Amino acid sequence: MIAYLANLATIVAIFGILASTLNVAIGHAGIFSVAHAVFFGLGAYAGAQTAMLLVPDPLLALLVAALIAGGLSLCLALPALRVRGEYFVAASLGLQMVATTLFSELKPLTGGIGGLVGIPRPELFGVTITALPLALATLALILLATHLLARGSFGRTLRAIRDAESAAEALGKHVAVAKTLAVAFACAGAGMAGALFAFHMAFVNVESFTLDQSVLVMAMVIVGGTGTLWGPLLGAALLLALPAGLSFLPFIPPTEVGAVQQILYGLAMTLLMIFRPAGLVGDLGRGKVAH
Amino acid sequence: MLFLQLLQGGVQTGALYALTAAGFALIFGATRIFHFAHGAAFTLAGYAFLMAWNAGWPWPLGALAAIAVAVLFGVAIEQLVYRPIGRHEGGFFTVFVAAFGVSIVVQNLVGMIAGRGFAVIDTPLSRATEVLPDLWIAPVFYVAIGVSALLFLALSLFLTRSHAGVALRALAQNPDLIRTYGLSSTRLSILAFALGSALAAPAAILTGMTVGLNEAMGHHVMLISMAATIVGGVGNLKGAALAGLLLGIAESVALAFVEPQWAEAVSFVVLFGFILFRPSGLFGVAVAR
Amino acid sequence: MAAITVENASRSFGGVQAVAGVSITLPAGAVTALVGPNGAGKTTLFNLITGNLRADSGDIRLDGAPILGLRPWQIARRGVARSFQDLRLFTHMTVRENVLAATETGSWFWQPGGRAARATREARVEKALERTGLARLAEERAIDLAYAERKFLSVARILAAEAEVWLLDEPTSGLDLASRRHFSGILREAAQQGKAICLIEHNLDVVVELADRIAFLDQGRVLAEGEPQAILRNPELAAIYFGDRPQAVEATP
Repeated sequence: MIAYLANLATIVAIFGILASTLNVAIGHAGIFSVAHAVFFGLGAYAGAQTAMLLVPDPLLALLVAALIAGGLSLCLALPALRVRGEYFVAASLGLQMVATTLFSELKPLTGGIGGLVGIPRPELFGVTITALPLALATLALILLATHLLARGSFGRTLRAIRDAESAAEALGKHVAVAKTLAVAFACAGAGMAGALFAFHMAFVNVESFTLDQSVLVMAMVIVGGTGTLWGPLLGAALLLALPAGLSFLPFIPPTEVGAVQQILYGLAMTLLMIFRPAGLVGDLGRGKVAH
Repeated sequence: MLFLQLLQGGVQTGALYALTAAGFALIFGATRIFHFAHGAAFTLAGYAFLMAWNAGWPWPLGALAAIAVAVLFGVAIEQLVYRPIGRHEGGFFTVFVAAFGVSIVVQNLVGMIAGRGFAVIDTPLSRATEVLPDLWIAPVFYVAIGVSALLFLALSLFLTRSHAGVALRALAQNPDLIRTYGLSSTRLSILAFALGSALAAPAAILTGMTVGLNEAMGHHVMLISMAATIVGGVGNLKGAALAGLLLGIAESVALAFVEPQWAEAVSFVVLFGFILFRPSGLFGVAVAR
Repeated sequence: MAAITVENASRSFGGVQAVAGVSITLPAGAVTALVGPNGAGKTTLFNLITGNLRADSGDIRLDGAPILGLRPWQIARRGVARSFQDLRLFTHMTVRENVLAATETGSWFWQPGGRAARATREARVEKALERTGLARLAEERAIDLAYAERKFLSVARILAAEAEVWLLDEPTSGLDLASRRHFSGILREAAQQGKAICLIEHNLDVVVELADRIAFLDQGRVLAEGEPQAILRNPELAAIYFGDRPQAVEATP
């Protein structure tokens, strides 16, 4: 039972990081990426390879993962600077599809469909630890960073660009720099989540980094509430608890639990968009955007 | 002959892509809604025909059922999902998320009811014969080409000759008309969804006869339709159809040079390149920004 | 002293000359009104000055230094601020945040200058809110404001940005008399403090009440520049403005 809870907590923390960082792009910068799992995957492969080829030092792995995911985030920043709206969603979908193929085909780097097996346990100062404390610490750091970012001038710059890009530029904002930084921050965070995921699972393959995963993370942000501090984490916990909750319902045949869960989650997305588009925590209808 | 064989496959796939893409482009042109659940109409229509066929219905009845299911789905999503979101001025992302939710529901419902994995609609049309040395063609190839050509002819006649068709085209070329059109834009929007979804039905049936159906294929169909619409130039039906055809051919011919698993990526590399360097598409005049 | 000098600037869109060889100066400490029928090229001229559009030819200078070819954000940071006809407020941010954002030009993770600079910025924001009468609405979101309040918010952003050149696109349209007086007061005060103010205005009452100088534009050209009374009394210009276009109009020097 304790192992089960520890596992759930680690996964919630990892997806909390993913959702919180995606929220910076979606909620603050208005960059609607449907490719967050790409950077989650990049971080996972980078972290896993660091641990397997060099040392299983989690701090080094997190750093490498953040650098690689943050660096390659230019692939996402470029279309974000060129187009917006549906076109950007289309571009990020395209990026996601191409990346999925790359992940399954670049076997020397990613192990292909079989994935990378036997990722060592993280060792901090010579002591072997689990991923849970690392994930919680990283989550806390990310939440603190997004909180400061949302309250500070950078968050204001991003929201100004989101609401009226030309007016922000006319007030001296360097739109390209701000958008690129926001995307890099979000993707570097996703990369760190990836490295933690690799340590936790000891095995990674492309199945965790597909379009479905990107949409799941996006749904977490939206269910929780875009632009809020705690919303994405709440959304992550809710959507991850859903399968666990469903498996306790006796009348659903075990083979259909996955499908029922997917149906509920699809329905929840649609109904929320119709009736409560600002999410559970967000309240865009009145008052200011909560931080 | 390998090249010819690939080209034949590409034209067949491309003709079907062109149909679904034209449906997507028609809907987008008339309503400015990026109908991300377009793939779900395709899946539903394909499985409706499959079930009718397996139940022993004659094919025209099955085809009618498939079209009816697609049209019903299109009109229902317009009325129940997009319209309420449009009423509280939801942004495109709200629309995207809601549509994605719908397609997830459809995919899993179809999987639960009809079973998961590939299902081929087995008809005499699907059996290939060797027409030239090493070139195998099934009769369904000719059917696919013929049906697509016929439907495009009918569609362009409708869009140029009928009152409603002309109104739809006017909307596509000048989105501001949507606002000034007032009441009748509601009916036009329903018409666009009905027509656009209906176009997915023949494509789905023929896909079921050629490569087979799969409950998860809606995603792929939606992505290809979207890619073709953007590559072809938004607001340009012919452009979307032509781009769909080209994407189908590119995916297939690429097999001569790369491993099959890369084929799908080809379309998306093309899409990504277009968005970066020519967001107005092949034939578009409107710039995306 | 001239804050902005535009010399012989032209810009065409696919064969249509929107701005055709315009030369104009916007002196510091004065309110200049751009007057002219719709499509005269007034907003295009704004866009050329702010760098949103690039002039095909000509020269644009700010305090003597060339700004042609700079990006809009670079020109903004040199002290040129503008408002938009459709306002373009940061709709989902509070009034205070809207104005605060105007004082923060750094686009990186933090602003230069540390705590002291931050206190200065906040003081500027308070002053701008006070002057525009928005202080009591500081925590409201821009989207929840009434029409007149939104107009004041768009000028509060410029006020707080402490720009030297103000380009205002129809700032007083749709305001009632009291609000218009309040608005004019803000602009006159800014002009007295040495700002160069330029507004596009269709209401000739406002022009007479507010402007020190008028530049009359038609079909991309400056037909006349000078004292408001003199220009408005010119019957040929009045004919153009009120739509009775004579067959040929010679540009008055």
